[in-house]
Amino acid sequence: MRPLSQIQLKTQGDHLLVTLPSENLVSEPLDWEQLSEELETRLQQGSWGSGTPVILQVHDRLLGGHQLQTLLGIFQRAGRFQLKKVLTTRRQTAVAAATNGYSVEQTTPNPLAAEDETLPFLLAEPLYFSGTLRSGKEIAHPGNVILIGDLNPGGAIIAAGDILVWGFLRGVVHAGAWGDRARRIMALKMLPTQLRIADIVARAPTRPPNQWFPEIAYAVDDGIRISRAEGLNRP
Amino acid sequence: MSRIIVVTSGKGGVGKSTVTANLGTAIAALGCSVALVDADFGLRNLDLLLGLENRIVYTALDVVAETCTLEKALVKDKRQPGLGLLPAAQNRNKESITPEQMHDLVKGLAATHDYVLVDCPAGIEGGFRNAIAAAEEALIVTTPEVAAVRDADRVVGLLENENIKRINLIVNRVRPELIQQQDMLSVEDILDLLVVPLIGIVPDDERVIVATNRGEPLVLSTQPSLPAMAFRNIAQRMEGKEVAYLDLMAAHDTLFNRIRRLFR
Repeated sequence: MRPLSQIQLKTQGDHLLVTLPSENLVSEPLDWEQLSEELETRLQQGSWGSGTPVILQVHDRLLGGHQLQTLLGIFQRAGRFQLKKVLTTRRQTAVAAATNGYSVEQTTPNPLAAEDETLPFLLAEPLYFSGTLRSGKEIAHPGNVILIGDLNPGGAIIAAGDILVWGFLRGVVHAGAWGDRARRIMALKMLPTQLRIADIVARAPTRPPNQWFPEIAYAVDDGIRISRAEGLNRP
Repeated sequence: MSRIIVVTSGKGGVGKSTVTANLGTAIAALGCSVALVDADFGLRNLDLLLGLENRIVYTALDVVAETCTLEKALVKDKRQPGLGLLPAAQNRNKESITPEQMHDLVKGLAATHDYVLVDCPAGIEGGFRNAIAAAEEALIVTTPEVAAVRDADRVVGLLENENIKRINLIVNRVRPELIQQQDMLSVEDILDLLVVPLIGIVPDDERVIVATNRGEPLVLSTQPSLPAMAFRNIAQRMEGKEVAYLDLMAAHDTLFNRIRRLFR
């Protein structure tokens, strides 16, 4: 099972909780360059105001001073977010954070704490993203994804749930990335380079239609079909 | 307040250096002091386009190594007062300078010039990172080709990540006859995808190639040409003036072409 988004962002009251996945659940080492890009894009496109306090939760991940500085740089550039506290179960990370002057809460490892990762079939909250998703940008999310804007060719959305593009879908989308073939892809203007639902891959017709209608793509036994959204649920 | 602008594209060969040379000259002709910085270490071209290759004594690396001052390295164009070039090194590559060093050089030039235009190399790796180091604005150059627009989209995404918010688009090498026949992307198609404000459309013209080989920016020529007019218009727009776009399609909107379009 491919681990989806390495980072989770959640609003808790007046601050933002940024969670990096636990090390023993994600076997691939954290790709910092990819992480930086994804984190910056998501922070910029989210609705958190400038200066929002951030709590960084890293579970048992080892974070050195250098990596902490990288994260601080990202927070600063994305919207002058203020890192207020670091939550971790690992002593070295706690020490690194404290040395850099941040308030630290070191908890004992709690197997129930990483609830989102240990229950893969419980989807996370839907991810809302507004703006143009440009070539080279990728959103991966263990839930439903709603993009209010366009997905440009070269860009990709990978979701465990459904994908809804309230705009022009021109890139690659993968719904039901964890294997759920019942997931669907919806767009106001559907002209993807590639459609994927669970394990099925398909190309859409290359010629754009004469007239644009909102459409839904769904999986059938031998492939993926695209239908006009209107009337799909009627018997 | 000086303006630091990076001229970039992602794709190679779309006309970044040509735009930098001609636009820089056109802005200087309006009375501003302009410094052009060639950030393409190892494959420098800006000096050739400006015809200043044989006047280069020091390069940006000499300034970094403190062999000479920034003032001494700047090659002043005798044909256009107010225009200067900080040449790149040809005997090294893009790893010979760091973004921090580039940042300091550009800031140094910004202190004494109204405009600093940084000519970015193709790609999105080290050379790109160097060129955007001190930039506050960006000019994206693209041609009406799918590959160029795709790369431009990627670059805009990267620039947005760096918080360079003021980005404008120049569509270069436009062939109105092909757009008329719908064989080429129109400017509207490009804007639809890139969603970046347009600041100029430059038509394709053989005279640009001739001028490049001679080392004389087209805007300096006494012969009028459409690309030169386009560059001068862009310079005016950069200075805040509203200038109408040249009607490039007019000559090609003939009855014959309209009938041809009906059969597509």
